[in-house]
Amino acid sequence: MINSIATENLAVAYGENLVVDDLDMQIPQEKITSIIGPNGCGKSTVLKAVGRILKPKGGMVYLNGHDIRSLSTKEVAQKMAILPQSPQAPAGLTVGELVAYGRFPHQRGFGKLKPEDKKIIQWALDVTRLSEHETTAVDNLSGGQRQRVWIAMALAQQTDLILLDEPTTYLDLAYQLEILELLFRLNREQGCTIVMVLHDLNLAARFSDYMIAIRGGDVIRHGLPEVVMTADVLKETFRIDAEIVTEPRTGRPVCISYDLIKDGVN
Amino acid sequence: MTREAILKYKRRLALRNLLILMGGLFLLLVSLFVSMNAGYSKLSILDTLNTVAGKGTATHELILFQYRLPRIVISILIGAGLALSGCLIQGISRNPLAEPGLLGINAGAGMMVILYALLLGITNFSSIFTLPFLALIGAAGAAISVYLLAYKKQEGISSERLILTGIAVQAGISALTTILIVNLDDMRFSIVSGWQAGQIWGANWQYVLTLLPWLCVLIPYCLYKAKSLDVLNLGDEVALALGMPVEKERRKILIVAVMLAACCVSVGGNISFVGLIAPHLARRMVGPKHQILLPVCALTGAVLVCIADTLGRMLIQPSSIPTGIMTAIIGAPYFIYLLVRR
Repeated sequence: MINSIATENLAVAYGENLVVDDLDMQIPQEKITSIIGPNGCGKSTVLKAVGRILKPKGGMVYLNGHDIRSLSTKEVAQKMAILPQSPQAPAGLTVGELVAYGRFPHQRGFGKLKPEDKKIIQWALDVTRLSEHETTAVDNLSGGQRQRVWIAMALAQQTDLILLDEPTTYLDLAYQLEILELLFRLNREQGCTIVMVLHDLNLAARFSDYMIAIRGGDVIRHGLPEVVMTADVLKETFRIDAEIVTEPRTGRPVCISYDLIKDGVN
Repeated sequence: MTREAILKYKRRLALRNLLILMGGLFLLLVSLFVSMNAGYSKLSILDTLNTVAGKGTATHELILFQYRLPRIVISILIGAGLALSGCLIQGISRNPLAEPGLLGINAGAGMMVILYALLLGITNFSSIFTLPFLALIGAAGAAISVYLLAYKKQEGISSERLILTGIAVQAGISALTTILIVNLDDMRFSIVSGWQAGQIWGANWQYVLTLLPWLCVLIPYCLYKAKSLDVLNLGDEVALALGMPVEKERRKILIVAVMLAACCVSVGGNISFVGLIAPHLARRMVGPKHQILLPVCALTGAVLVCIADTLGRMLIQPSSIPTGIMTAIIGAPYFIYLLVRR
């Protein structure tokens, strides 16, 4: 298996507070990988450090085998798109304008859009079904549409690797599925490597080829959904007692019910 | 919306922006002309036209070319410079309340002016460039200390830290300034208070010639950075994700903003509100894209200060209301209106 991203002894801290320490993690190429874990476990932190939005305190991040620090931030942006959690668009900016920023890593100087840039922007708008809203201000859109605009911007970057931090937050069930199916299509049709942090375990298991469960900045288990979505792993990761079955429609594991573990501690 | 409708919309938008730009230029010319007519010595419109055409009397030429025009040109340049500086600072801090004064620029410059009056005690300034030069140093000094205090090794500069530190430093310098002012005698006090009120005192061609080269370099550089400002406006994380070296870019733009404001303040005195109001007005007219926002903002600032200066000279004669006070009189109600409307 070829890795898109690998980390070695990765350590990330906010100030003096070490959130992630000594993390070794591999993200397989051309697969959909989900990072799961409880609140505050460091999953967003890991994603940001991998996406060089946060400077690690120590350790290495490799992008396609290269030390990420040896590449300029612009070179990285040509290979990897990362969408932070719930970004804010400036007031009055239109959908088309925002998506066009996705071409920024590929531009020089004054940044005039070339015809091929425009074609890519149009494609990004089309696959996210936003073409109709191209001239609408982003702040006039619903939460779900807004999320799609940001994804469209990341798509316009035209990278083989896309990192997303909770792309389905604030979305209702249909929109969640829509976003994940879009990412699924990108992966299957264009061979994009997708890495995302997801809260919803069942959606993660359904759409991922690979899962990584994190707690306290450590990888508890990584592998196929069948390997990670087990009662044992969820117990260790989330401190829940979960009931896992295989969903007949998708053939993937789902968590149908769960309880807090009531052991001697509580 | 169909393809054609979108294209049509884009063309209309481009036309609209062009019209706003032209309208701004036209307004600037009108206020320039009105301003030439305004003042203690009456010049009729015909006199002004004749003098501009080179057919005026010697007195008229003296009044217009040696007294009024340099002052008007200075007010226009200062307006444009401060407005752009405010736009840059609002852009990099993503805070609509940010303005050059918030980085301690006005306070730092004012402090130096007072120190100069107090320590060296010279009331009629030795060289006409001494005061602007000192004001420049004070402005830059204050801005640098704000930056250094806000800088954190691991995270660099965050917008909130920059603004909070700016407020703190500004308050500190202002307090010191007040203590110093108490110790001034009447003569020096009037000079210092004139500066504090934003009395444009650099009203001759020499000041225009010192200010102009700076602006000729800084303003085009601002326009060149329009795209960077747009991307920074998306927030640090998104800008980083798009491959922008955020910290480096922000520092560059901050330096330009400080230089712009510092040279304007050094010639014009403490002129407030322009750097805050002009970007707001411009953004309401043309939206957040800096390529069009910056030029419209510069025009807005120029018109604003030109009008403020003209009104200041017209309302109370033979003396005048300092320009800085006038911009505040115009700016404050508009700002309150903005806040109430939200």
